[in-house]
Amino acid sequence: MKRVLGEGWILPALDNLNRAFFTTGKLTLQQCKKCSHLQHPPEEICRNCQSFDLGHFESAGTGKIASVAVNHHPVHPDMRDIVPFAIVLVAVDDAPGPLLAGNAIGVAPTDVQIGDSVRVVFEEAHDKHTDERLLIPQWEVVR
Amino acid sequence: MRQKSAVCGIGETRYYKRGDAPHTEFQLACLAIKAAAEDAGLPLSEIDGFVSYSDSRNGPTRLSAALGIDNLRFAATTWPGGGNTAAAAMQIADAAVRAGYARNIVVFRAIAQGQFGRYGQARAGSGSVLGGTAAFNAPYGLLTPAQQCALRTAAFMDKYGVSQEALCDIAMACFANAQLNPRALQNGHPLTREKYHASRWIVTPYHLYDCCPENDGAAASIVTSAERARDMRSTPAYIVATAQGDGPSFGEFGPDNYTSSYYGSVASNLWNYAGLTAQDMDVVQFYENFTGAVLIALAEMGFAPMEGIQEFVSDDALVGPDAKLPFNTSGGNIAEAYIHGFGLINEAVRQVRGESTCQVKDVEHSLMVAGPGYAPGSALVLGATA
Repeated sequence: MKRVLGEGWILPALDNLNRAFFTTGKLTLQQCKKCSHLQHPPEEICRNCQSFDLGHFESAGTGKIASVAVNHHPVHPDMRDIVPFAIVLVAVDDAPGPLLAGNAIGVAPTDVQIGDSVRVVFEEAHDKHTDERLLIPQWEVVR
Repeated sequence: MRQKSAVCGIGETRYYKRGDAPHTEFQLACLAIKAAAEDAGLPLSEIDGFVSYSDSRNGPTRLSAALGIDNLRFAATTWPGGGNTAAAAMQIADAAVRAGYARNIVVFRAIAQGQFGRYGQARAGSGSVLGGTAAFNAPYGLLTPAQQCALRTAAFMDKYGVSQEALCDIAMACFANAQLNPRALQNGHPLTREKYHASRWIVTPYHLYDCCPENDGAAASIVTSAERARDMRSTPAYIVATAQGDGPSFGEFGPDNYTSSYYGSVASNLWNYAGLTAQDMDVVQFYENFTGAVLIALAEMGFAPMEGIQEFVSDDALVGPDAKLPFNTSGGNIAEAYIHGFGLINEAVRQVRGESTCQVKDVEHSLMVAGPGYAPGSALVLGATA
């Protein structure tokens, strides 16, 4: 799908910690191989057992909205044409613990409610600096 | 532990709308420091230390040369962050004075956004590529403190059944108290509930009046030993306790923290150190970046349970010198001026001295709580007696 906030909007700078999250087209969270702790954003060490042996958990990609803030004020001039939009925190059903930031789509921004069910969708982007293809997780409201 | 320290002098410039200051930021810093030294009756040459935020553009050696300081003994800044470290800056000065590393330490903040650009506006827009934590936020338009605190506040309101009226109560108290304070930029511009609700949305649940403005100006205080403070011109405000605290898990939104302002551990650290509780405070100054984040911090600091915070702030409970909880008596960041919390420190000192324009009777303990929603948070208790 097209990018929610516009094709030119800010991209994540890919690195070894976040590449799986932003490129695989699956909802992929960091998980400790020693203690199975799930953490997001990813870190260079397990926040639970301090192991460096970190891998990934592939989620089925459904969740619930834990919070929503509808952004009306363009905090950057490039936002003038894209407000209002809904910023959400999502609790992932099969990955309890960390909450993921994103945008909610599929209903009007002002209609998004805490507790709404969502499923992950991916917006496609291309980083012209590195020539990498990105698939950025977003959240579609399911009613 | 050596003897206590005290705030012996406070000063500030006139406060200005963002971009309107007629002086450079460095000149504003010098004006506020000169005013604080004058207030203490302390020759500028006897200042021997500086503490500010990590991003301060007004460094200690430039200030030392400009102000004719004889012997700069101590210079430090807080960790990067923002207004969450306002009271932490006081903690650094308190520790250094009590350890004997310096005698008269200036703690200050100066802001000239006309000269250096705005703090509250996102620098990155289309075409940017951002790494670190921003990589997980900026692609979703999550760029500013208002948005981050809005997400926490919306979840907090949902979880504890708090309505928009509680946020309005915080803004109303700040504006009401500012009407008594000629320094306040909103003096002469009272707020009504109708005006609050009719104001535009910035990011739900924040209206315009839930957000502090951006201002220019400077404020400074001088920390010295309790013994020296007693011989100076102004009444000492003794530093009873300071604290920092973080957690749980700042940097990620998790099940334990997404309705938090990160003041739970600040509260336990502060009250344990002081041997006091929230109920011992006669007057409070809470750093309002955003009203909703303050509601959470009020609860976390122990003034009311989360479930009871709406009732606690309702019925003008925070308005005026005789309020149930005298709160942001200068008008605070929202209605006096936003000097990144340093105006609130000066007001906490004035309450101990009996010099506020919204003076509470017989103040023994005066609390200042720094910026909510970011860690490490920090807080300061000042006392009338050593």
